[in-house]
Amino acid sequence: MPFDRRRIRNFSIVAHVDHGKSTLADRLLQATNAVSAREAKEQILDSMDIERERGITIKASAVTVFHRHKPGAKADELELDYEAPVDEAGHHRVAKGTAAEHGELYMLNFIDTPGHVDFNYEVSRALKACEGAILVVDATQGVQAQTVVNAYLAINENLVIVPVVNKIDLPSARPEEVAMELEQVLGIDATSCIYVSAKTGQGIPELLAAICDQFPPPREPKITQTRALIFDAQYDDHRGVIVYFRLFEGSLRVGDRIRMIGTGRTFNVTDIFKYTPKPQRVLDEHGKPAPVGPGETGALVAAIRTLADVRVGDTITLDTDPATEPLPGYQPPRQMVFCDFYPATGEEGEQSTSFEELREAIGKLSLNDSSFTFQPVHSDALGFGFRCGFLGLLHMDIIQERLEREGGVEVVQTAPTVSYEVQVRGDKPDLHKEGGGQKSIEIVRVENGNAVLEVHNPADLPNPSNIIEIREPICRVDIMLPKGDIGPIMKLCLDRRGVYKQQTFVSEARDMLSFDLPLAEIIYDFYDKLKGMTAGYGTMDYEVTGYKADDLVKMDILVNGDPVEALSVIVHRSKAEQRGRALIARLKEQIPKHQFEIPLQAAIGSRVIARETIKAFRKNVLAKCYGGDVSRKRKLLEKQKEGKKRMKAVGSVNIPQEAFMAVLDQGE
Amino acid sequence: MMQRTAISVLGQRAPHPLRKAGPAAAVRSLYIHVPFCAHKCHYCDFYSLVDTQDRQEAFVSRLCSELEALSEATGAPGLETIFIGGGTPSLLGVPLWRRLLSELERRFDLWAMRPGGGGEFTVECNPESVTRELLDVLVAGGVSRVSMGAQSFNRRHLATLERRHDPAEVSRAIDAARAVGIRRQSIDLISSIPGQTVSELREDLSAAVGLGTSHLSCYTLTYEPRTAMTARLERGEFARADEETEIEMFEVTLGAMRAAGLERYEVSNFARPGQECRHNLAYWRQEEWLAAGPSASGHVAGHRWKNVPRLDDYLAGAGLPEVVDHEPPDARRALAERIMTGLRLAEGLAWEWVRGRAAEVCGAASAARLDRVAGAAMEREQATIVGGRLRLTDAGFLLADTIAADLMRALRA
Repeated sequence: MPFDRRRIRNFSIVAHVDHGKSTLADRLLQATNAVSAREAKEQILDSMDIERERGITIKASAVTVFHRHKPGAKADELELDYEAPVDEAGHHRVAKGTAAEHGELYMLNFIDTPGHVDFNYEVSRALKACEGAILVVDATQGVQAQTVVNAYLAINENLVIVPVVNKIDLPSARPEEVAMELEQVLGIDATSCIYVSAKTGQGIPELLAAICDQFPPPREPKITQTRALIFDAQYDDHRGVIVYFRLFEGSLRVGDRIRMIGTGRTFNVTDIFKYTPKPQRVLDEHGKPAPVGPGETGALVAAIRTLADVRVGDTITLDTDPATEPLPGYQPPRQMVFCDFYPATGEEGEQSTSFEELREAIGKLSLNDSSFTFQPVHSDALGFGFRCGFLGLLHMDIIQERLEREGGVEVVQTAPTVSYEVQVRGDKPDLHKEGGGQKSIEIVRVENGNAVLEVHNPADLPNPSNIIEIREPICRVDIMLPKGDIGPIMKLCLDRRGVYKQQTFVSEARDMLSFDLPLAEIIYDFYDKLKGMTAGYGTMDYEVTGYKADDLVKMDILVNGDPVEALSVIVHRSKAEQRGRALIARLKEQIPKHQFEIPLQAAIGSRVIARETIKAFRKNVLAKCYGGDVSRKRKLLEKQKEGKKRMKAVGSVNIPQEAFMAVLDQGE
Repeated sequence: MMQRTAISVLGQRAPHPLRKAGPAAAVRSLYIHVPFCAHKCHYCDFYSLVDTQDRQEAFVSRLCSELEALSEATGAPGLETIFIGGGTPSLLGVPLWRRLLSELERRFDLWAMRPGGGGEFTVECNPESVTRELLDVLVAGGVSRVSMGAQSFNRRHLATLERRHDPAEVSRAIDAARAVGIRRQSIDLISSIPGQTVSELREDLSAAVGLGTSHLSCYTLTYEPRTAMTARLERGEFARADEETEIEMFEVTLGAMRAAGLERYEVSNFARPGQECRHNLAYWRQEEWLAAGPSASGHVAGHRWKNVPRLDDYLAGAGLPEVVDHEPPDARRALAERIMTGLRLAEGLAWEWVRGRAAEVCGAASAARLDRVAGAAMEREQATIVGGRLRLTDAGFLLADTIAADLMRALRA
């Protein structure tokens, strides 16, 4: 018998980063006796090392727990207060007492979501599997930029929101004021807020009651065929792809032949399980595989070898009796930030990592993160590498770190750029590079007989004489900040070519500023500047809203007379000189002295707009070397270059990794 | 009776490197380290103790025991060069010198050290501790060369270096050495002393040249780790000379020496033709030498080792002392060392030999890598190949370590 759909609750917890989402999730698991208090000390939903180290959640996970609730009750007994209701096989058998004593049994499926702006795409697809969302706000910090964005994501999915003010145990907590902020900014009734301390457990009984009472049950099946939404997928070395699904109609069980409606591919289900949060097979009382029914969530394994075979957002149906219409949901992730990875150069200009090793590491990583793209590139200066696209800057950092940590490769990363739209004359532009080779650009559409290209590498910009206009991605940026900091932040936004949109009252102390800003202006240090200028109190979130043409030019950087494509950058003409000077100055600091002079130039076309020279180093000789010194001096010389930074040889010049990032210096 | 002294590694007793090296027929050199100083100079990182009297006698007794054991282990070879350094060897009392010199005479074949024998026997001296009595004893013991630690003739810079002698004492000591018949004298100078100007260095150089010595060592001041000078630099008591100044001083030194008829034969060493220090050349040409005294390093049959450095540990033993940092023979290491020290010599490296040896020891590809590095250096006019030898140019000497490091990396597989 499938679980009674009317007593299933599917929900997510959404929050600004560090507002206590993971702690709250752990407390709920503990309160429903899914984990012991000792286990709950760890944030158990985050499973990757990097997640734990960075304190962020990257991958969504779904966890199923059981809970007893008397309809209408405002606060529930906690399962940990009576007896373990789940036996060793994971079955929720009726424990001591009866439904009349302790209430009806509910199945709670909660879906953890990533908190960072880069992963909004993953948040929204997780929300599609839910009927409700717990919106967590820190009682000391109040509503922050991500609170707003996440709340709107939930509202757009028509989810019921239960507002929670967390961390009320802290001395500086101001729960009522924060509840008022929710009302001011999001129109959420302040009196509906539940005050919680995930740390002490205060408010958890009330929250569990609200989850059961306020979140609606899964909707009734509309058709008889099976339809399940894939809301996440992970790659496991031993089992292949693990598909997280939310069943809307029909049932799924081990042995079913499933079909993905979007891709048309079919697979045999070999295992179905739920995370409680330990993985538990779905079995009946006889220990046989049991079906999963409408409204439930789970995870399945079906000998799927790579993540590329699974599209998150796709619909699973049964091959024997397929549904024809997919569930609404699929939107491909959009990569907004691009950079190149090249194998780092070892001693004597040899590669410390080979291109093949890099290819293998990237391929392997793509098995468990399908939201970054990669394609081989060749740069005259840097050789063979990969151009990769990411959801955002944090995503890029994480991928680089995982490549090195899990893939064991050393890479040199070029500065990230955004994706530009370039309108060129004619509908069949020449996409070949001067020296041969295809540029990594494609025609996205044709407007009035003129092709629009997507260019995400400044080196691929067509000949300027063919360009009609260059358009750049524009974002709506919401900044939550103390009122006293509005002036400097306004100036920062205007300096970054921002267009003021609105100012919203949040509380007596804080406002929300909204600006339209070019993505290229915020991808690097904008967030750090915001944090610095607001003593850490300012928060921001952004969403790309469209493309806009501007007076953009390509600035080339010449090192020792040779243009280095990976250092070229697309800049606004009015800022080119300032950026060029700053960039060259940074390069001068970061490229070590060589045995010859190295001229550095920034140029637009053939016009040099900034120049510097790195002087040659001329002396490196130990004064003394006696008999007793030979061993020590030999070791000294052998070590001389071992401590050097990660380098990339460009011609005869070794350029350290940091120099490639100098491109991002705004010259402010 | 030969002493069975051994080094202890992880509780096991390992034989002394000389026992492994076998018959040491090629040994022609001996270094003796005297670890006493009247005062610890701030730039010096050689092992020494400010302990002038208490343990000198015990030290010389112990040294004699070591010399006896060395002689027995190596078959009392004929020595062609002896160098007694420190520390401040001239601090040893005259009777102790007598004992040491007669022990040398007894334990080794010093035929080459007789007048006109072609040998070289150097003692390092500090000008203030040179006496006529000492010099007489040295000459009688076969000493033919003194190396005088002048460092500078400028009182202010001597004070910076914490040197205690009066500049005039150098000339007195050199004259005294000449007077007793020690014909070869060398003077040590230091350049790039904090606060030293180029013209002050010129004054030092001409003062040194004016003493008429045939050999001069002029070292750029090196800030060795764990010396008082380095600590003072780190505390900001003075600024170190900038690269441009160091280069200019390096070049000024070379010019002044050439004008005086002294040629550079090693990075920091200048001599009239034929007056080069043969003992030091033995180091730089990777020849073999024995070592005696605490912290002294030896090199025989590919083995390198260092005597236990602390005086107390040294005194505690007998015969061959305990050894630290023993490096057994290793063809690749030996080649790397030959490149490193050979490149520092004006005579350079026998290039075909080096290439052939590299191909043999490190694989054929390493010879090609060596050629690439040498080619690049020649292209930059830092090196030339003359008479089959790779030699650094004047500009190349400034970058000797960079070029050596590049060549040494080429040996790696």
